[in-house]
Amino acid sequence: MLLEIENLTKVYRTGVRANGGIDLSIESGEVFGLLGHNGAGKTTLVNQVVGLLKPTAGSIRIDGADMVADPGLARRLCSFQAQSQVPIDGLTPRQAVELVGQLRGASKADVRRRRARLVDALELGEWLDIDAARLSGGVKRLVAFAMAAVAPGRLVMLDEPTNDVDPVRRRLLWQQVRALADEGAAVLLVTHNVVEAERSVDRLAILDGGLVIAGGTPAELKAGLGAELRLELVIDPQAPELPVSPFGRPVVPVGNRLMVGLPTDAAGPAVAWAESLQRAGTVEEFTLGPATLEDVYVALVGGLEVRPTEMEESFDASAA
Amino acid sequence: MQALRSYRLLVTWQALRKKAYLPLMMAVQTLFSLGIVLGYPLLFPSLDRVTIYLIATGAPAISMVSVGLVALPQTVGEAKTEGSLAYMRSLPVPRLAYLVADLTVWLAIVVPGVVLGVLVGAWRFGLDLQVSPLVVPAVLMVALTATCVGYALASVLPYMLTVIITQALVVFVFMFSPLTFLPEKLPAWLETIHRLLPIQAMGEVTRGTIAPNEFPLPPGAFLTLAVWCVLGFAVTYAAMTRRA
Repeated sequence: MLLEIENLTKVYRTGVRANGGIDLSIESGEVFGLLGHNGAGKTTLVNQVVGLLKPTAGSIRIDGADMVADPGLARRLCSFQAQSQVPIDGLTPRQAVELVGQLRGASKADVRRRRARLVDALELGEWLDIDAARLSGGVKRLVAFAMAAVAPGRLVMLDEPTNDVDPVRRRLLWQQVRALADEGAAVLLVTHNVVEAERSVDRLAILDGGLVIAGGTPAELKAGLGAELRLELVIDPQAPELPVSPFGRPVVPVGNRLMVGLPTDAAGPAVAWAESLQRAGTVEEFTLGPATLEDVYVALVGGLEVRPTEMEESFDASAA
Repeated sequence: MQALRSYRLLVTWQALRKKAYLPLMMAVQTLFSLGIVLGYPLLFPSLDRVTIYLIATGAPAISMVSVGLVALPQTVGEAKTEGSLAYMRSLPVPRLAYLVADLTVWLAIVVPGVVLGVLVGAWRFGLDLQVSPLVVPAVLMVALTATCVGYALASVLPYMLTVIITQALVVFVFMFSPLTFLPEKLPAWLETIHRLLPIQAMGEVTRGTIAPNEFPLPPGAFLTLAVWCVLGFAVTYAAMTRRA
Protein backbone atom coordinates (compact mmCIF):
# COMPACT_ATOMS: atom_id res chain seq x y z
CA MET A 1 0.00 0.00 0.00
CA LEU A 2 1.23 3.48 -0.78
CA LEU A 3 -0.56 5.36 1.99
CA GLU A 4 -1.15 3.62 5.30
CA ILE A 5 -2.95 5.39 8.10
CA GLU A 6 -3.35 3.65 11.44
CA ASN A 7 -5.32 4.74 14.47
CA LEU A 8 -5.09 8.38 13.41
CA THR A 9 -6.45 10.60 16.15
CA LYS A 10 -6.66 14.35 16.37
CA VAL A 11 -7.92 16.17 19.43
CA TYR A 12 -7.63 19.96 19.17
CA ARG A 13 -6.49 22.02 22.11
CA THR A 14 -10.09 23.16 22.52
CA GLY A 15 -10.94 19.54 23.33
CA VAL A 16 -12.74 18.92 20.02
CA ARG A 17 -12.03 15.42 18.75
CA ALA A 18 -11.86 15.68 14.94
CA ASN A 19 -10.50 12.19 14.18
CA GLY A 20 -11.00 9.32 16.57
CA GLY A 21 -8.75 6.46 15.47
CA ILE A 22 -8.90 6.22 11.68
CA ASP A 23 -7.45 3.28 9.73
CA LEU A 24 -7.10 3.69 5.96
CA SER A 25 -4.86 2.43 3.20
CA ILE A 26 -4.63 3.50 -0.42
CA GLU A 27 -2.80 1.81 -3.29
CA SER A 28 -0.96 3.45 -6.19
CA GLY A 29 -3.22 3.84 -9.21
CA GLU A 30 -6.31 3.97 -7.04
CA VAL A 31 -8.87 6.75 -6.63
CA PHE A 32 -10.02 6.56 -3.02
CA GLY A 33 -13.00 8.57 -1.82
CA LEU A 34 -13.39 9.95 1.66
CA LEU A 35 -17.05 10.78 2.21
CA GLY A 36 -18.70 12.56 5.06
CA HIS A 37 -20.60 15.60 6.20
CA ASN A 38 -19.06 18.93 6.96
CA GLY A 39 -17.32 18.41 10.28
CA ALA A 40 -16.91 14.67 9.80
CA GLY A 41 -13.13 15.03 10.09
CA LYS A 42 -12.16 14.77 6.40
CA THR A 43 -10.20 18.00 6.11
CA THR A 44 -8.47 17.39 9.43
CA LEU A 45 -7.31 14.04 8.07
CA VAL A 46 -5.77 15.44 4.87
CA ASN A 47 -4.17 18.33 6.76
CA GLN A 48 -2.46 15.77 8.96
CA VAL A 49 -1.18 13.79 5.98
CA VAL A 50 0.35 16.89 4.39
CA GLY A 51 1.90 17.94 7.70
CA LEU A 52 -0.15 21.08 8.42
CA LEU A 53 -1.55 19.48 11.57
CA LYS A 54 0.16 17.15 13.99
CA PRO A 55 -1.78 14.02 14.95
CA THR A 56 -2.50 13.49 18.63
CA ALA A 57 -1.90 9.77 18.10
CA GLY A 58 -1.51 7.23 15.32
CA SER A 59 0.72 6.88 12.29
CA ILE A 60 0.76 8.03 8.67
CA ARG A 61 3.12 6.21 6.29
CA ILE A 62 3.81 6.73 2.63
CA ASP A 63 5.87 3.94 1.04
CA GLY A 64 6.70 2.89 4.58
CA ALA A 65 8.19 6.27 5.56
CA ASP A 66 6.87 8.03 8.65
CA MET A 67 5.13 11.26 7.58
CA VAL A 68 4.44 12.49 11.11
CA ALA A 69 8.16 12.49 11.87
CA ASP A 70 9.11 14.04 8.52
CA PRO A 71 6.48 16.53 7.34
CA GLY A 72 8.99 17.91 4.82
CA LEU A 73 9.03 14.55 3.06
CA ALA A 74 5.23 14.44 3.26
CA ARG A 75 5.03 17.68 1.30
CA ARG A 76 7.40 16.37 -1.36
CA LEU A 77 5.42 13.14 -1.74
CA CYS A 78 1.93 14.67 -1.62
CA SER A 79 0.37 17.32 -3.77
CA PHE A 80 -2.66 18.91 -2.31
CA GLN A 81 -5.69 20.90 -3.40
CA ALA A 82 -7.18 22.49 -0.30
CA GLN A 83 -10.89 22.96 0.27
CA SER A 84 -10.59 26.74 0.40
CA GLN A 85 -9.94 28.76 -2.74
CA VAL A 86 -6.25 28.96 -3.48
CA PRO A 87 -5.04 32.56 -3.03
CA ILE A 88 -3.59 33.44 -6.42
CA ASP A 89 -5.03 36.91 -7.13
CA GLY A 90 -2.43 38.85 -9.05
CA LEU A 91 -1.17 35.75 -10.84
CA THR A 92 -2.51 34.37 -14.11
CA PRO A 93 -3.40 30.67 -14.27
CA ARG A 94 -0.31 30.14 -16.46
CA GLN A 95 1.97 31.77 -13.88
CA ALA A 96 0.33 30.07 -10.90
CA VAL A 97 0.43 26.56 -12.36
CA GLU A 98 3.96 26.86 -13.75
CA LEU A 99 5.43 28.44 -10.61
CA VAL A 100 3.87 25.78 -8.37
CA GLY A 101 5.09 23.02 -10.69
CA GLN A 102 8.62 24.35 -10.40
CA LEU A 103 8.28 24.89 -6.65
CA ARG A 104 7.33 21.21 -6.46
CA GLY A 105 10.68 20.44 -8.04
CA ALA A 106 9.79 19.71 -11.68
CA SER A 107 11.87 21.17 -14.53
CA LYS A 108 10.61 24.19 -16.41
CA ALA A 109 10.19 22.21 -19.64
CA ASP A 110 8.22 19.41 -17.94
CA VAL A 111 6.03 21.90 -16.16
CA ARG A 112 5.22 23.74 -19.39
CA ARG A 113 4.34 20.52 -21.16
CA ARG A 114 2.07 19.30 -18.38
CA ARG A 115 0.50 22.71 -17.87
CA ALA A 116 -0.37 22.87 -21.58
CA ARG A 117 -1.90 19.39 -21.43
CA LEU A 118 -3.98 20.17 -18.33
CA VAL A 119 -5.18 23.51 -19.68
CA ASP A 120 -6.31 21.76 -22.89
CA ALA A 121 -7.94 18.89 -21.04
CA LEU A 122 -9.85 21.20 -18.68
CA GLU A 123 -10.61 23.71 -21.46
CA LEU A 124 -9.06 26.60 -19.55
CA GLY A 125 -7.30 28.16 -22.55
CA GLU A 126 -9.38 31.33 -22.70
CA TRP A 127 -8.42 32.25 -19.11
CA LEU A 128 -4.78 31.27 -19.30
CA ASP A 129 -3.38 34.80 -19.18
CA ILE A 130 -6.08 36.58 -17.17
CA ASP A 131 -5.42 37.80 -13.63
CA ALA A 132 -6.95 35.28 -11.22
CA ALA A 133 -8.68 38.14 -9.39
CA ARG A 134 -11.03 38.34 -12.40
CA LEU A 135 -11.78 34.62 -12.64
CA SER A 136 -14.99 32.95 -11.47
CA GLY A 137 -14.92 30.63 -8.47
CA GLY A 138 -15.31 27.55 -10.67
CA VAL A 139 -12.41 28.47 -12.95
CA LYS A 140 -10.24 29.20 -9.92
CA ARG A 141 -11.08 25.74 -8.57
CA LEU A 142 -9.94 24.18 -11.84
CA VAL A 143 -6.74 26.22 -11.76
CA ALA A 144 -6.17 24.98 -8.20
CA PHE A 145 -6.64 21.43 -9.44
CA ALA A 146 -4.12 22.04 -12.23
CA MET A 147 -1.71 23.38 -9.58
CA ALA A 148 -2.04 20.11 -7.67
CA ALA A 149 -1.78 17.97 -10.81
CA VAL A 150 1.01 19.74 -12.72
CA ALA A 151 3.81 18.02 -10.79
CA PRO A 152 1.86 15.44 -8.79
CA GLY A 153 3.39 13.63 -5.87
CA ARG A 154 2.99 9.91 -5.22
CA LEU A 155 -0.20 10.86 -3.41
CA VAL A 156 -2.57 13.53 -4.73
CA MET A 157 -5.13 14.80 -2.23
CA LEU A 158 -8.11 16.72 -3.55
CA ASP A 159 -10.45 18.34 -1.03
CA GLU A 160 -13.82 19.03 -2.69
CA PRO A 161 -12.27 19.67 -6.13
CA THR A 162 -15.60 20.09 -7.96
CA ASN A 163 -17.09 22.82 -5.76
CA ASP A 164 -18.35 25.69 -7.94
CA VAL A 165 -17.33 23.89 -11.16
CA ASP A 166 -19.88 23.71 -13.99
CA PRO A 167 -21.29 20.27 -14.96
CA VAL A 168 -19.40 20.02 -18.26
CA ARG A 169 -16.03 20.83 -16.76
CA ARG A 170 -16.76 18.55 -13.80
CA ARG A 171 -16.65 15.65 -16.23
CA LEU A 172 -13.38 16.88 -17.67
CA LEU A 173 -12.04 17.21 -14.14
CA TRP A 174 -13.03 13.63 -13.25
CA GLN A 175 -11.23 12.40 -16.38
CA GLN A 176 -8.09 14.15 -15.19
CA VAL A 177 -8.47 12.72 -11.69
CA ARG A 178 -8.59 9.26 -13.26
CA ALA A 179 -5.60 10.14 -15.47
CA LEU A 180 -3.56 10.94 -12.35
CA ALA A 181 -4.29 7.48 -10.97
CA ASP A 182 -3.55 5.86 -14.34
CA GLU A 183 -0.14 7.54 -14.28
CA GLY A 184 0.53 5.77 -10.98
CA ALA A 185 -0.44 8.26 -8.29
CA ALA A 186 -2.72 7.36 -5.44
CA VAL A 187 -5.59 9.85 -5.36
CA LEU A 188 -7.37 10.68 -2.12
CA LEU A 189 -10.58 12.45 -2.95
CA VAL A 190 -12.41 14.24 -0.17
CA THR A 191 -16.02 15.05 -0.87
CA HIS A 192 -19.51 15.18 0.49
CA ASN A 193 -20.92 14.74 -2.99
CA VAL A 194 -21.93 11.09 -2.87
CA VAL A 195 -23.33 10.87 -6.37
CA GLU A 196 -20.13 12.08 -7.98
CA ALA A 197 -18.04 9.88 -5.74
CA GLU A 198 -19.96 6.78 -6.79
CA ARG A 199 -19.00 7.36 -10.41
CA SER A 200 -15.41 8.32 -9.78
CA VAL A 201 -13.84 6.28 -7.00
CA ASP A 202 -12.47 2.74 -6.86
CA ARG A 203 -12.90 2.42 -3.12
CA LEU A 204 -14.15 4.72 -0.42
CA ALA A 205 -14.55 5.20 3.28
CA ILE A 206 -17.45 6.94 4.95
CA LEU A 207 -16.44 9.16 7.81
CA ASP A 208 -18.82 10.27 10.54
CA GLY A 209 -17.95 11.96 13.80
CA GLY A 210 -14.23 11.43 13.12
CA LEU A 211 -14.58 7.66 12.63
CA VAL A 212 -14.62 5.40 9.56
CA ILE A 213 -18.09 3.87 9.76
CA ALA A 214 -17.94 1.93 6.47
CA GLY A 215 -15.46 1.17 3.70
CA GLY A 216 -15.10 -0.78 0.48
CA THR A 217 -15.93 -0.49 -3.21
CA PRO A 218 -19.23 1.19 -4.10
CA ALA A 219 -20.59 -2.26 -5.11
CA GLU A 220 -19.57 -3.83 -1.79
CA LEU A 221 -21.17 -1.04 0.17
CA LYS A 222 -24.39 -1.27 -1.81
CA ALA A 223 -24.49 -5.05 -1.31
CA GLY A 224 -24.17 -4.42 2.42
CA LEU A 225 -27.31 -2.31 2.33
CA GLY A 226 -29.38 -5.43 1.60
CA ALA A 227 -31.65 -3.57 -0.81
CA GLU A 228 -31.17 -3.65 -4.55
CA LEU A 229 -33.84 -1.06 -5.29
CA ARG A 230 -34.79 2.27 -3.84
CA LEU A 231 -38.23 3.81 -3.87
CA GLU A 232 -38.14 7.53 -3.43
CA LEU A 233 -41.35 9.20 -2.28
CA VAL A 234 -41.87 12.95 -2.36
CA ILE A 235 -44.13 13.60 0.61
CA ASP A 236 -46.92 16.18 0.44
CA PRO A 237 -45.95 18.79 3.05
CA GLN A 238 -49.61 18.88 4.16
CA ALA A 239 -49.73 15.12 4.77
CA PRO A 240 -50.74 14.44 8.40
CA GLU A 241 -48.25 11.61 8.93
CA LEU A 242 -45.43 9.78 7.17
CA PRO A 243 -46.44 6.55 5.38
CA VAL A 244 -45.26 3.30 6.96
CA SER A 245 -43.43 0.93 4.61
CA PRO A 246 -44.96 -2.53 4.38
CA PHE A 247 -41.59 -3.92 3.22
CA GLY A 248 -39.76 -3.75 6.52
CA ARG A 249 -36.69 -2.25 4.85
CA PRO A 250 -34.78 0.88 5.83
CA VAL A 251 -36.95 3.95 5.50
CA VAL A 252 -34.99 7.16 5.73
CA PRO A 253 -36.46 10.66 5.58
CA VAL A 254 -34.37 13.23 3.70
CA GLY A 255 -36.00 16.65 3.75
CA ASN A 256 -39.48 16.12 2.24
CA ARG A 257 -38.41 12.82 0.66
CA LEU A 258 -38.64 9.30 1.96
CA MET A 259 -36.16 6.68 0.78
CA VAL A 260 -37.40 3.08 0.99
CA GLY A 261 -35.03 0.18 0.37
CA LEU A 262 -36.48 -2.83 -1.49
CA PRO A 263 -35.48 -6.26 -2.77
CA THR A 264 -35.81 -6.65 -6.56
CA ASP A 265 -38.89 -8.91 -6.35
CA ALA A 266 -40.81 -6.22 -4.44
CA ALA A 267 -40.79 -3.82 -7.40
CA GLY A 268 -44.40 -4.52 -8.44
CA PRO A 269 -46.01 -4.29 -4.97
CA ALA A 270 -43.90 -1.21 -4.20
CA VAL A 271 -45.18 0.66 -7.24
CA ALA A 272 -48.76 -0.32 -6.35
CA TRP A 273 -48.20 0.91 -2.77
CA ALA A 274 -46.74 4.20 -3.99
CA GLU A 275 -49.60 4.73 -6.40
CA SER A 276 -52.12 4.22 -3.60
CA LEU A 277 -50.26 6.81 -1.49
CA GLN A 278 -50.31 9.20 -4.44
CA ARG A 279 -54.05 8.72 -4.89
CA ALA A 280 -54.56 9.35 -1.17
CA GLY A 281 -52.59 12.58 -1.51
CA THR A 282 -49.88 11.59 0.97
CA VAL A 283 -47.27 11.40 -1.76
CA GLU A 284 -46.84 13.94 -4.56
CA GLU A 285 -44.66 11.78 -6.78
CA PHE A 286 -42.36 8.79 -6.63
CA THR A 287 -39.50 7.16 -8.49
CA LEU A 288 -38.21 3.59 -8.41
CA GLY A 289 -34.62 2.84 -9.36
CA PRO A 290 -31.56 0.83 -8.43
CA ALA A 291 -30.10 1.55 -4.99
CA THR A 292 -27.20 3.99 -5.08
CA LEU A 293 -24.25 4.77 -2.91
CA GLU A 294 -26.27 7.68 -1.66
CA ASP A 295 -28.78 5.25 -0.14
CA VAL A 296 -25.95 3.50 1.63
CA TYR A 297 -24.64 6.82 2.83
CA VAL A 298 -28.04 7.99 4.02
CA ALA A 299 -28.74 4.68 5.73
CA LEU A 300 -25.39 4.77 7.52
CA VAL A 301 -25.10 8.42 8.40
CA GLY A 302 -28.85 8.94 8.73
CA GLY A 303 -30.62 11.82 10.39
CA LEU A 304 -30.31 14.02 7.35
CA GLU A 305 -33.42 16.05 7.99
CA VAL A 306 -31.32 18.48 9.94
CA ARG A 307 -28.74 18.80 7.16
CA PRO A 308 -30.68 18.71 3.91
CA THR A 309 -28.53 21.11 1.87
CA GLU A 310 -25.76 18.64 1.19
CA MET A 311 -28.16 16.08 -0.11
CA GLU A 312 -29.78 18.74 -2.27
CA GLU A 313 -26.37 19.23 -3.83
CA SER A 314 -26.10 15.51 -4.45
CA PHE A 315 -29.48 15.46 -6.12
CA ASP A 316 -28.60 18.49 -8.22
CA ALA A 317 -25.42 16.82 -9.34
CA SER A 318 -27.23 13.64 -10.26
CA ALA A 319 -29.73 15.67 -12.26
CA ALA A 320 -26.83 17.37 -14.07
CA MET B 1 20.67 24.85 -4.34
CA GLN B 2 17.06 23.72 -3.97
CA ALA B 3 16.51 26.46 -1.38
CA LEU B 4 17.96 29.05 -3.76
CA ARG B 5 15.69 27.90 -6.59
CA SER B 6 12.68 28.02 -4.25
CA TYR B 7 13.73 31.49 -3.12
CA ARG B 8 13.90 32.78 -6.69
CA LEU B 9 10.51 31.28 -7.59
CA LEU B 10 8.91 32.60 -4.41
CA VAL B 11 10.19 36.14 -4.98
CA THR B 12 8.59 35.95 -8.44
CA TRP B 13 5.37 34.59 -6.88
CA GLN B 14 5.17 37.27 -4.18
CA ALA B 15 6.14 40.13 -6.49
CA LEU B 16 3.54 39.06 -9.06
CA ARG B 17 0.87 38.71 -6.38
CA LYS B 18 1.64 42.17 -5.00
CA LYS B 19 2.20 43.79 -8.38
CA ALA B 20 -1.23 45.45 -8.52
CA TYR B 21 -0.65 47.46 -5.37
CA LEU B 22 3.14 47.37 -5.22
CA PRO B 23 3.63 50.73 -6.99
CA LEU B 24 0.87 52.22 -4.85
CA MET B 25 2.53 51.00 -1.67
CA MET B 26 5.88 52.35 -2.78
CA ALA B 27 4.25 55.67 -3.60
CA VAL B 28 2.42 55.88 -0.26
CA GLN B 29 5.49 55.17 1.79
CA THR B 30 7.56 57.59 -0.31
CA LEU B 31 4.89 60.15 0.53
CA PHE B 32 5.55 59.43 4.21
CA SER B 33 9.11 60.69 3.76
CA LEU B 34 8.08 63.60 1.58
CA GLY B 35 5.22 64.56 3.86
CA ILE B 36 7.53 64.86 6.83
CA VAL B 37 10.26 66.72 4.97
CA LEU B 38 7.85 69.15 3.32
CA GLY B 39 5.23 69.30 6.08
CA TYR B 40 7.27 69.99 9.23
CA PRO B 41 8.52 73.39 8.02
CA LEU B 42 4.87 74.40 7.54
CA LEU B 43 4.11 73.55 11.18
CA PHE B 44 7.29 75.15 12.49
CA PRO B 45 8.41 77.95 10.15
CA SER B 46 11.69 78.63 11.94
CA LEU B 47 13.71 75.47 12.47
CA ASP B 48 17.18 75.34 13.97
CA ARG B 49 19.99 73.50 12.29
CA VAL B 50 19.83 70.33 14.43
CA THR B 51 16.06 70.05 13.95
CA ILE B 52 16.44 70.38 10.20
CA TYR B 53 18.96 67.54 10.14
CA LEU B 54 16.75 65.48 12.45
CA ILE B 55 13.78 65.91 10.12
CA ALA B 56 15.77 65.17 6.96
CA THR B 57 17.21 61.96 8.46
CA GLY B 58 14.14 61.02 10.51
CA ALA B 59 11.80 60.99 7.53
CA PRO B 60 13.38 57.94 5.86
CA ALA B 61 13.54 56.19 9.24
CA ILE B 62 9.83 56.83 9.83
CA SER B 63 8.95 55.51 6.40
CA MET B 64 10.90 52.28 7.02
CA VAL B 65 9.41 51.80 10.46
CA SER B 66 5.87 52.51 9.31
CA VAL B 67 6.09 50.04 6.42
CA GLY B 68 7.62 47.37 8.65
CA LEU B 69 5.42 47.83 11.68
CA VAL B 70 2.17 48.97 10.06
CA ALA B 71 1.73 48.14 6.37
CA LEU B 72 3.51 44.78 6.52
CA PRO B 73 1.70 43.28 9.53
CA GLN B 74 -1.64 44.26 8.02
CA THR B 75 -0.79 42.70 4.66
CA VAL B 76 0.69 39.57 6.22
CA GLY B 77 -2.35 39.29 8.50
CA GLU B 78 -4.58 39.45 5.43
CA ALA B 79 -2.49 36.79 3.68
CA LYS B 80 -2.86 34.61 6.76
CA THR B 81 -6.64 35.09 6.72
CA GLU B 82 -7.02 34.28 3.02
CA GLY B 83 -4.97 31.09 3.46
CA SER B 84 -1.84 32.13 1.53
CA LEU B 85 0.41 31.05 4.34
CA ALA B 86 -1.32 27.69 4.72
CA TYR B 87 -1.09 27.09 0.98
CA MET B 88 2.61 27.88 0.90
CA ARG B 89 3.08 25.63 3.90
CA SER B 90 1.56 22.72 1.95
CA LEU B 91 4.25 23.04 -0.76
CA PRO B 92 7.67 21.37 -0.51
CA VAL B 93 9.39 24.70 0.01
CA PRO B 94 11.87 25.48 2.80
CA ARG B 95 10.12 27.75 5.29
CA LEU B 96 13.21 29.89 5.40
CA ALA B 97 13.09 30.45 1.62
CA TYR B 98 9.48 31.60 1.88
CA LEU B 99 10.17 34.02 4.70
CA VAL B 100 13.33 35.43 3.13
CA ALA B 101 11.58 35.80 -0.26
CA ASP B 102 8.74 37.75 1.33
CA LEU B 103 11.19 39.96 3.23
CA THR B 104 13.05 40.62 -0.04
CA VAL B 105 9.89 41.92 -1.68
CA TRP B 106 9.20 44.12 1.34
CA LEU B 107 12.72 45.54 1.27
CA ALA B 108 12.20 46.38 -2.40
CA ILE B 109 9.08 48.30 -1.39
CA VAL B 110 10.88 50.23 1.36
CA VAL B 111 14.21 51.22 -0.16
CA PRO B 112 13.13 53.57 -3.00
CA GLY B 113 11.17 55.72 -0.55
CA VAL B 114 14.18 55.98 1.72
CA VAL B 115 16.47 57.14 -1.09
CA LEU B 116 13.93 59.62 -2.42
CA GLY B 117 13.20 60.90 1.09
CA VAL B 118 16.87 61.62 1.74
CA LEU B 119 17.34 63.36 -1.62
CA VAL B 120 14.25 65.55 -1.21
CA GLY B 121 15.25 66.41 2.36
CA ALA B 122 18.70 67.47 1.27
CA TRP B 123 17.23 69.55 -1.57
CA ARG B 124 14.45 71.15 0.51
CA PHE B 125 16.78 72.27 3.30
CA GLY B 126 19.84 72.80 1.10
CA LEU B 127 21.84 70.29 3.12
CA ASP B 128 25.28 69.08 2.14
CA LEU B 129 25.06 65.53 3.49
CA GLN B 130 28.33 63.64 3.93
CA VAL B 131 26.66 60.22 3.67
CA SER B 132 28.71 57.40 5.21
CA PRO B 133 29.24 54.16 3.25
CA LEU B 134 27.73 52.47 6.29
CA VAL B 135 24.38 53.81 5.10
CA VAL B 136 23.84 50.69 2.98
CA PRO B 137 24.07 48.16 5.84
CA ALA B 138 22.27 50.67 8.07
CA VAL B 139 19.24 51.02 5.81
CA LEU B 140 19.14 47.26 5.18
CA MET B 141 19.39 46.56 8.91
CA VAL B 142 16.68 49.05 9.86
CA ALA B 143 14.34 47.86 7.11
CA LEU B 144 15.02 44.20 7.91
CA THR B 145 14.49 44.67 11.64
CA ALA B 146 11.26 46.60 11.08
CA THR B 147 9.95 43.97 8.67
CA CYS B 148 11.01 41.05 10.92
CA VAL B 149 9.36 42.56 13.99
CA GLY B 150 6.25 43.42 11.94
CA TYR B 151 6.16 39.89 10.54
CA ALA B 152 6.41 38.44 14.02
CA LEU B 153 3.47 40.59 15.17
CA ALA B 154 1.29 39.38 12.31
CA SER B 155 2.39 35.76 12.73
CA VAL B 156 1.54 35.57 16.39
CA LEU B 157 -1.55 37.77 16.71
CA PRO B 158 -5.04 37.25 15.28
CA TYR B 159 -5.72 39.49 12.29
CA MET B 160 -8.10 41.96 13.96
CA LEU B 161 -5.74 42.46 16.88
CA THR B 162 -2.89 43.03 14.42
CA VAL B 163 -4.90 45.77 12.72
CA ILE B 164 -5.73 47.50 16.01
CA ILE B 165 -2.18 47.33 17.35
CA THR B 166 -0.66 48.62 14.12
CA GLN B 167 -3.08 51.57 14.16
CA ALA B 168 -1.85 52.43 17.63
CA LEU B 169 1.73 51.99 16.48
CA VAL B 170 1.23 54.68 13.81
CA VAL B 171 0.67 57.30 16.51
CA PHE B 172 3.43 55.90 18.69
CA VAL B 173 5.97 55.92 15.84
CA PHE B 174 5.07 59.37 14.50
CA MET B 175 4.56 61.30 17.72
CA PHE B 176 6.30 59.51 20.57
CA SER B 177 9.36 57.86 19.06
CA PRO B 178 12.74 59.61 18.87
CA LEU B 179 13.05 59.57 15.10
CA THR B 180 12.58 63.26 14.20
CA PHE B 181 13.67 64.45 17.64
CA LEU B 182 16.30 63.36 20.17
CA PRO B 183 15.34 60.94 22.98
CA GLU B 184 16.19 63.57 25.65
CA LYS B 185 12.97 65.38 24.74
CA LEU B 186 10.88 62.46 25.96
CA PRO B 187 9.65 62.04 29.55
CA ALA B 188 12.09 59.89 31.50
CA TRP B 189 9.84 56.82 31.63
CA LEU B 190 9.27 56.84 27.89
CA GLU B 191 12.96 57.39 27.31
CA THR B 192 13.62 54.23 29.34
CA ILE B 193 11.09 52.26 27.31
CA HIS B 194 12.67 53.45 24.08
CA ARG B 195 16.07 52.32 25.27
CA LEU B 196 14.69 48.77 25.16
CA LEU B 197 12.61 49.03 21.97
CA PRO B 198 14.24 48.95 18.53
CA ILE B 199 12.73 52.21 17.19
CA GLN B 200 15.26 54.54 18.82
CA ALA B 201 18.16 52.46 17.49
CA MET B 202 16.57 52.63 14.02
CA GLY B 203 16.63 56.42 14.21
CA GLU B 204 20.20 56.52 15.55
CA VAL B 205 21.54 54.20 12.87
CA THR B 206 19.74 56.07 10.08
CA ARG B 207 20.84 59.58 11.07
CA GLY B 208 24.30 58.41 12.18
CA THR B 209 25.02 57.13 8.65
CA ILE B 210 23.12 59.70 6.53
CA ALA B 211 24.53 62.69 8.44
CA PRO B 212 27.54 61.29 10.35
CA ASN B 213 29.02 64.78 10.77
CA GLU B 214 25.97 65.92 12.74
CA PHE B 215 25.11 62.79 14.69
CA PRO B 216 27.58 60.29 16.14
CA LEU B 217 26.64 56.67 15.66
CA PRO B 218 26.07 55.16 19.13
CA PRO B 219 28.20 52.00 19.41
CA GLY B 220 25.38 49.76 20.65
CA ALA B 221 22.73 50.76 18.12
CA PHE B 222 23.56 48.14 15.50
CA LEU B 223 23.68 45.49 18.21
CA THR B 224 20.22 46.49 19.52
CA LEU B 225 18.86 46.19 15.99
CA ALA B 226 20.56 42.84 15.47
CA VAL B 227 18.98 41.47 18.66
CA TRP B 228 15.48 42.64 17.64
CA CYS B 229 15.99 41.43 14.09
CA VAL B 230 16.97 37.93 15.22
CA LEU B 231 14.15 37.90 17.76
CA GLY B 232 11.53 38.93 15.17
CA PHE B 233 12.87 36.41 12.69
CA ALA B 234 12.93 33.59 15.23
CA VAL B 235 9.37 34.25 16.41
CA THR B 236 8.13 34.40 12.81
CA TYR B 237 10.01 31.27 11.83
CA ALA B 238 8.69 29.39 14.85
CA ALA B 239 5.11 30.47 14.10
CA MET B 240 5.55 29.44 10.48
CA THR B 241 6.92 25.97 11.16
CA ARG B 242 4.60 25.14 14.04
CA ARG B 243 2.13 22.31 13.42
CA ALA B 244 -1.07 22.84 15.38
